[in-house]
Amino acid sequence: MSEDTVIHCENLKFSYTGSEEYAVNGVNFSVKRGEFLSVIGHNGSGKSTLARLLNGLLEPESGTVTVLGKDLSEGKNAVEVRKHVGVVFQNPDNQMVASVVEDDVAFGPENIGVEREEIGRRIDWALKAVGMEKYRKATPSRLSGGQKQRIAVAGVLAVKPEILVLDESTAMLDPRGRREVVDVVKRLNKEEGMTIILITHFMDEALIADRTIVMNKGEIALCGTPEEIFENGEMLETLNLSLPRISVLANRLRACGMEIGNVLRTEELAEQIVANMHKRGIYEGQSTDLKVKNRNFVGEWGINIENLSYTYSAKSPFAAKALKNINLEIAEGEFFGIIGHTGSGKSTLVQHFNALIKLPQAEKKYRKKKPKKGEPEPVMPAIYVGKYNLADKKCDFRSLRADVGMVFQYPEYQLFAESVFADVSFGLKNFRKGISEEEIKQAVKASLEVVGLDFDEVKDKSPFDLSGGQKRRVAIAGVIVTKPSILILDEPAAGLDPKGKTEIMELLHKLHREWCKTVVIVSHDMDEIAENCTKAAVISDGTVFACDVPSALFARSDELTGLGLDVPMTSKISAELRKNGFEIAGGGTLEQFADGVSEVFGGAENV
Amino acid sequence: MFNDVTFGQYYPTQSFVHNLDPRCKLLALIAYIVLLFCAWNFYSLILCAVVLAAAVIAAKVPVRSVLRSVKGIIFLLAFTAVLNLFFHGGEKLLTPESWFIKIYLEGVVFTVFFVLRLFFLVMGSSVLTLTTTPVALTDGIESLLKPLSYIRFPVHELALIMSIALRFIPTLIDETNRIISAQKARGADFESGNIFRRIKAIVPILIPLLISAFRRADELGDAMDSRCYSGSKTRTKYKKLKFGWRDAVATLIFAALIAGVVLMNIYGASVFPQIYEYIKIR
Repeated sequence: MSEDTVIHCENLKFSYTGSEEYAVNGVNFSVKRGEFLSVIGHNGSGKSTLARLLNGLLEPESGTVTVLGKDLSEGKNAVEVRKHVGVVFQNPDNQMVASVVEDDVAFGPENIGVEREEIGRRIDWALKAVGMEKYRKATPSRLSGGQKQRIAVAGVLAVKPEILVLDESTAMLDPRGRREVVDVVKRLNKEEGMTIILITHFMDEALIADRTIVMNKGEIALCGTPEEIFENGEMLETLNLSLPRISVLANRLRACGMEIGNVLRTEELAEQIVANMHKRGIYEGQSTDLKVKNRNFVGEWGINIENLSYTYSAKSPFAAKALKNINLEIAEGEFFGIIGHTGSGKSTLVQHFNALIKLPQAEKKYRKKKPKKGEPEPVMPAIYVGKYNLADKKCDFRSLRADVGMVFQYPEYQLFAESVFADVSFGLKNFRKGISEEEIKQAVKASLEVVGLDFDEVKDKSPFDLSGGQKRRVAIAGVIVTKPSILILDEPAAGLDPKGKTEIMELLHKLHREWCKTVVIVSHDMDEIAENCTKAAVISDGTVFACDVPSALFARSDELTGLGLDVPMTSKISAELRKNGFEIAGGGTLEQFADGVSEVFGGAENV
Repeated sequence: MFNDVTFGQYYPTQSFVHNLDPRCKLLALIAYIVLLFCAWNFYSLILCAVVLAAAVIAAKVPVRSVLRSVKGIIFLLAFTAVLNLFFHGGEKLLTPESWFIKIYLEGVVFTVFFVLRLFFLVMGSSVLTLTTTPVALTDGIESLLKPLSYIRFPVHELALIMSIALRFIPTLIDETNRIISAQKARGADFESGNIFRRIKAIVPILIPLLISAFRRADELGDAMDSRCYSGSKTRTKYKKLKFGWRDAVATLIFAALIAGVVLMNIYGASVFPQIYEYIKIR
């Protein structure tokens, strides 16, 4: 073991009580001072257990963890080692002890008995390191996810650890929040020379590390530089991981006859595309516009919103305008995307769709006010969902909710019943009083099967005994069991690993084809929108910024970036190519983009 | 602007009372309550009312929100007032001898006194909660309880529990609202039916909420451990409450109030002797 090694694990094994399998099974690795190591693996691969073993939260069954020369298996060292190994966890809400930022950051130093003046200096330094010095007196519950997580990082930094472990700390954040946290971590590594272990299931985050470890079933499956790892496409697939989207695109382009090396960054890929073009003597070109299929929407299950405004906690000192004069039309048959970052008002908007938030006119107490003399009649909001007029007091809100299914973010957290069957049938029994047992059974069976679960296998199980992905499927089944014509999902893929994400999106397409007429997803993942949606609206600061087909929407990438939103990868590459004289439409699916490049390039045959 | 809280009564603004040390406000409130019950005549009670009015003005909180705080106890107040009126004994009978119900002058004076005392008490407390964030209140309570740690009372642990509770109230409120919405979207009905039905309807909210609270507690425990929490005595404290000039002013005002109440209690009888029996309770 050399001087430089700060962490050394030898034949590390750990299993949770009641489980026969090892969560971590014979892991060997060491980390050098100042190194940036990323650990990737699917959900349940043992990577979070590893984080807890590194600072003594868990005790290994066998094998040793040595941190800065101290063996963690000697009990008393565990507490000592935590001063040197700081761990930031997944959920920013569950890491804070105080209601004021500075008090929370002070918690760590207070615990190790740092002098008062020094704590003050450490708070200054830690908040500055995460770029949150302006928020010293703020209340965490009022901050965005990314800001909260940066406070959590600051709280760990204030203890002045040499090693920082991030255990999926970006999994619950929106893209802006993720970028904020990743930037902080990168800077800490470069400028402060801090050793970083970044555990993640976002492949593109793993790329920024010096070295990557891939975990599978508690073992280290692969280890090397990110370039070496992602060269191994097929291997990653077998480890339940997906290739980064950029590698998928590179593969497609190779299939078109382009010579593309190992690329991990959009600029590099754009350069290589240009180089390929030049090699063939092509110096400019234009792909045909992404064809928007001429869709004639007929049918009644659309959503129509006019002049919708909404204010939170009206008439209190904390009143906040969430929606400002929204006009939006969603036609039947769309796979509609609603984009915006946390706090943009998108969740408030969709809760109007099934009258969880009622229009003022639909409230029992509402009385029409006479406008004052000289003032125009106030413009009242209107919402029509299918055959329902949501501004009407007499609207049947119960049957509206049966026809407009709504799946909330992290729906698995709303499961409550003792068996999967009882939980899924909950909505059905509520909406259709007096329905026969046999009908219930048939409906539950059909909905469990459509979400890809075996009815006989899961029906009597407790929903809490299922795996994360299965729980989410049960929760979705519990919403679609009433056969809603419109299905709305808030961040359906949040917190899932790449494979889980792909599976959920496939499920939604299946539901769109076979089960519901119109699907609306709320998302902040631009690639997800570009890849799946027929149309999308960008909500920013409570207004509809734009509403169009994805390719047209993302063509305005500069404006979107200006709003702090991300754009899909293909739009980024498309922008780079435009600088070199190639007009290839991005913003659609990877396939469409590859086709566009191939069209200009002339395809594989044309050599 | 970032000092806001999302719950409780706190009215965010800048004022003399807002900027007082929470310990000062807590002690002042305790003193005020004691004084209210020590006041024997209306002279003393008027002094208390003047100080309350001054505090409300200096706090720059809407008078309406102070008055609203009384709403919660109005029923209780009316009930006890009626009981007092009818059952308080005395010498000067106001109702005719033959009546079954007997109301005495002392009873009437006492009832008015009683109602005003409780009004002032509740309004005084609401001045505290309107001008002090829950966080500052906890800090104040912790600091005031500090001496108890010498008799092994777990002051620090108690303070940490309060702090964590405060921290998680907004989070759990959000969570509850989300769960309610989600179950409503699945047709749950919380508003109709008899009491048993409604209690049963709460189950789909309560269970996910409990499970989530336990999950959060678990994760919080890990995070605290990771940040070296061991609950040991070597812990230091960053936050320090400071006693400033405002607190000195407030202390002086209260000293004057105490002196005033004591003087009025003693010499009140000699101001207008002829009406004194109508404005005293002892």
